[in-house]
This record gives sequence, C-alpha cells and structure tokens, in this order.
Amino acid sequence: MKCVIEGNGIKVFGKAVHALSRIGDEIWLDPLEKGLAVRTVNSSQSAYACFCFTPLFFQQYIPEPDIQKDCEAVKCKLNIKCVLPLFRCASWRERSVDKCEISINIPNSRVIFQFHCRHGITKTYNLGYQECEALQAVFPAHLCPNVLMAQSKLLGDIVVHFPVSQEEVTLSISSFKVTLKTFCEDENNCIRGMNTELMLHADEFDYFQVGEDSAVTFCLKELRGLLSFAESYGLSVSSQFGVAGQPVFFSVKDMTLEAHVVLSTLTDPNHKSPSQPVPGEDCPVDVPKISTAEVSTCEGPMETEVCVDDGEQVASSQGSEVFNPTPHMRKMFQLQTPGEMLPRPRLAPESTLTTPVTPATFKIRSLLFGAVYTDVVDSKSVDLPSLACSSDTEE
Amino acid sequence: MPLSTQSQADIDQYILIASLDNARNLSNILKAISLRDHAIFNATQNGLKVTVEDSKCLQANAFIQADIFQEYIIKEDAVGFQVNLTVLLDCLTIFGGSTVPGVCTALRMCYNGYGYPLTLFLEEGGVVTVCKINTQEPEEPIDFDFCSTNVTNKVILQSDSLKEAFSELDMTSEVLQITMSPSHPYFRLSTFGNSGNAHYDYPKDSDMMELFQCTKIQTNRYKMSLLKPSTKALALSCKVSVRTDSRGFLSLQYLVRNDDGQICFVEYYCCPDEEVEEE
Repeated sequence: MKCVIEGNGIKVFGKAVHALSRIGDEIWLDPLEKGLAVRTVNSSQSAYACFCFTPLFFQQYIPEPDIQKDCEAVKCKLNIKCVLPLFRCASWRERSVDKCEISINIPNSRVIFQFHCRHGITKTYNLGYQECEALQAVFPAHLCPNVLMAQSKLLGDIVVHFPVSQEEVTLSISSFKVTLKTFCEDENNCIRGMNTELMLHADEFDYFQVGEDSAVTFCLKELRGLLSFAESYGLSVSSQFGVAGQPVFFSVKDMTLEAHVVLSTLTDPNHKSPSQPVPGEDCPVDVPKISTAEVSTCEGPMETEVCVDDGEQVASSQGSEVFNPTPHMRKMFQLQTPGEMLPRPRLAPESTLTTPVTPATFKIRSLLFGAVYTDVVDSKSVDLPSLACSSDTEE
Repeated sequence: MPLSTQSQADIDQYILIASLDNARNLSNILKAISLRDHAIFNATQNGLKVTVEDSKCLQANAFIQADIFQEYIIKEDAVGFQVNLTVLLDCLTIFGGSTVPGVCTALRMCYNGYGYPLTLFLEEGGVVTVCKINTQEPEEPIDFDFCSTNVTNKVILQSDSLKEAFSELDMTSEVLQITMSPSHPYFRLSTFGNSGNAHYDYPKDSDMMELFQCTKIQTNRYKMSLLKPSTKALALSCKVSVRTDSRGFLSLQYLVRNDDGQICFVEYYCCPDEEVEEE
C-alpha cells in the first residue's frame, strides 16, 4: 500500500488519529479499494471507530502492494502511541509539512511515514506493525428506528455542558424531543454529584426520526473524539440507535472521508424480553450492565439460522468478508419484527458475559455487535458458518 | 547604584570583577550548559569560559567574551575555580525570572582568589542581594583534542530546522546516530526506539544549510542521554555547526545572541558510542 497526503490533508489525518486515540490503544490500517480504513476498538470492546479515507482524500492512493504476487493487501495494526506524535497538531508543523507519504513495507514489516517538509527536510519514520486480520464491526445502522442528524456545532455545544470526567450519558428520544442527561448508577450518587440534563426540540435537528421511543446510555468520553473532529471541519453528525442494549451509531461523512463510531449501550434492567436475559448478581463480569462485543476470530465456516445479506453490512465494511454471528442476527430480526418471540439462543446468556463459558474452542459473542476478524483466506464464500469454530486469539 | 557603594579597599582585594547590567546575559547561557551540578570557571583577559562535563564523554563550554560585560577586571593571567552551577543559577535568578521589559537584575560577580567564595551582588528595583558561593579546586577539563585540521565533515545549519528535530527525538532510543556524507542522505539524524526508527534528512542544498563540507561518509552514534541536554543550547542559538573528526568525535558549536544582541558561543564535545563505519 502506498498513499500520499498533501498539505491540509495531513492535519485532517492527524485529527482523525487523535480522535481514534480517544477510544483505543491500537489502530488497524486496512487499505481497501474504496479507501484507506483506519480503525480502532477499545479494550473492553464496547466502542469501535473507523475512519475511511476515500481515494479523493489522497494525492495518490495505491492500495495494492508492490509485490506482484497473489497475496492480498496487508492489514496491519499499530500502537497508537507510536503514530500520534507524528501527527501532533502543532501550528509550526502545519506550516512546515508539505506532503506525507504512507507506505507499507511488507518484507520488513514496517509502516513508513515519510514527511516532506519545507527547506527540503525529510522526516522518515519506520514503525513496526503487527500483521493481523482486519477489525470490523457489523452493524445494520439503517435498521435503527431512531435517526438524528445535527450540525457538529450543536452537538459540541451540548456536550460541553457535561464534565469531561462524565463517563455515561443517557440519550432519550420521544415524539418531539430529545434529552441528554447524566447517567448515574444509583440514586445516592445522583443526589451527591452534579447532574446535567439538556432537552432539545425536534426542530433543532437537521433530521429527526423517531421509530421507537427509547433511552440509550453510552459512554460519552469515547464519542468526544469524533465530535471534536466533526466540529473542526463543520461536518454534520448523524446518529442511529434503537432501544437500550442495542448499539448506538454515530457518523460523519464528507466527499473525502467517512467516519463512524459504534458504542455499546447499557441494557435496560427493567426491560424483560425472552431473548435478552436480565443481568443478575451471578454475572462474572465487573460491569454486568454494559453489554460488550466480543471480538472473535472464527476461521471455520459457521452455521446460522438466518442468511447473511450483504446489504446489512455497514457501508465502510464492504469489500471485506465478515461473519454475522447468530445472536446478532436474532437481534436484527427483533428490530424488524418487534414483539416476536425468538427462539432461545443456543449459547449461554450472551449479553452479559465476556468470558467464554462453553468449550474453549469458541468464544461467546454478545448481542451487541459482532466485531469480528475476517478471514482473508476464506475469500468469496459467504457460506454459512457453524457455531463451533476455532478461535484465533491474538498475542 | 548600591553596587557602587563598595569601598575601594573591597574592590582592590578582588582578582576578578565582572559586571553585567542584565544578569540574564550570563544566566541564560549558563542554563544552556547546565548538565551537571559542577562547573569549572576559567577567566582570562579574553573573557569567561565555563565548562561542565558529564561522565568523561561529554563536555559543554560557554564562552562569554570580556566585551559582553559592562565591567571586566582581571588581575591575573588566568583565574580558575569550580562552583556548584545549580546554586549559581539560583542566585543569578534570585529575583525571579521576570521578563518585564526594562526590569532586569544587575550583577557584579567578584572573586578574591583561591580559597575564597564567589561573591555575587545582585540588584533589582533597588533591592540588593549578596550571595557568597563556596568555590572548589578547579578540575582540569578534559582535552578532547578536537582540532580543525582533523575535521572530516562539517555543516552549519540554521538552528530552527534542528530545533524541531531535537524536540521530537524519540527518547526511547539509546543513541542518536549522525550520518554525514557528500552524497545522499548528506546530513541525517537517526533514532532507534521501541516503536521503530526515525530519520531526519537535511539535504545539502536546503536553504537551512549554510555550509556543507563533507569529504567522506561517516556514521557515528552518540548516547542520547548525553546529547539531549544540548537541546537547551540549541533553543537559544540561531546557528549551529556540526563537525566530526576522524575519530568520530562530535563538536557542536552554537552561536547565541543574548538579550542585547551580543554574540556568545556554546560548544559541546561528545565521544562516539561506537564506531560505525560506512555501510
């Protein structure tokens, strides 16, 4: 892979990396035909972000490797602490850097960032990477009943009212209004601390669609990166979500790039549904309320009861193969046909466990979203996978 | 002015008197070489030379010519002593680091001779402070035997271009490698850190390059911990000359303009960490 970013684009790329650093510690570089995808996921796998830079963003974009073999483009993972200093948004850097060339050197396992600066000075950074499968979240955003679109400035103005340390907020939507408020775990804490609640009328949004009244609680800290990125460039932010427990999806889009963040939300302990077990005291996790996604690496084919439709995939994940796990499919169908009783899942309660309870050969997937590693070798077959698969753990 | 109320008898006993209207003209340049606690002072008719050494591999020198001082009296050919540099700097900046224009600390530095403390009279806004700092037997500075005739490669760069590089140097790298060559990459700084390696290339035709005289390709590595403090001197300077000799010893010479626009020099000598010949 080789790409060249010019002038202002370097600053944009830097801001994107900065936004990603608010979520995870590593970034995955995935050169696709339709653009360079830069992704991250947080350590608890409850937040995922992806910035996809289209070829228009670059002065030059060559996704294929130089080696003319039949090997596919390399997907690699970098420690974000190594990349971030290269793109520090210092004003002198903006003035002095003309061009940035990013290339992947496969034989040496290095990603090369070369900055051509003023006065003929060249700065070259050879960073070691880990070769890995692509990271991807599958999330049928277009199936979400609730959709909001707002100017980033509006969201920035809203979010500034919440203290930076505030982790979780609840976004509620009903027929004519949207509320954003501090989330507190128990009433005692609520009384002691400062709580903020903002109410917005439907008119304030560029687009407002309520399919189902709901209140979703997610971690605001992980969204701030995308919001400040959007605000720097005056982009609109759109948000799609469903009921509590289902992930919330935020995205920005431009001619040259597309970015989205998928965050898990708290399941509502009061909402009883046969397919969604209520988190109880016997849950082994530290934070039983937050449903997390399991990043899994199944390699073998997996059977599901439903068909995977390509159209369900998140726009930026086209071109890469994905698995859609069974429980997630069930959730999708629940969105389409609310109230329908779904068969009890074959796996043990997924929504709350992050540790595998079944045989070591496969990991439990959660309801949230199946952030999966794709199997590059298993190219075109969208053959339905079986549940028992070998999982490839990462070193 | 309070400093002038000293009696003639007092003045007579000093073998060295150096006065500055603005003590910053001395303190700033001394900060640029403050690698270690102890500094060796060597005063001659030409001016003051202050030397700081580190682990016998690095030497930093600051030169403040006699004409920088408003008053410079020396009664012997050479006056030498050693003082704690940290303490000296604390005294020179005893009135705080005020950068309000027009307000500066005046300094009169006096030395009676061997065995006597270094006396500083500092005045700002009518307030006078007298500091007496104990002196020690001056150690002989190491002679790095770096002479111009032995220089293989020399470049002079405008400091601005190096300032960026030095401030961003990957500190997880144990060494800083300097490559100088008559052909590409001409002048290259390299680091080898945990995340990978980084190279800063300065072409010979860059407008930041004032002089480029490289006769043969040379690559030398120097301990990062030794060279990183030179960033202070670089920050103050407007130009820097980088020279290596046939043994791979490094000489960095910084041209520093003080608050009044006068020129002083700071010099660093460093031994190579290991010899890396042409690859």
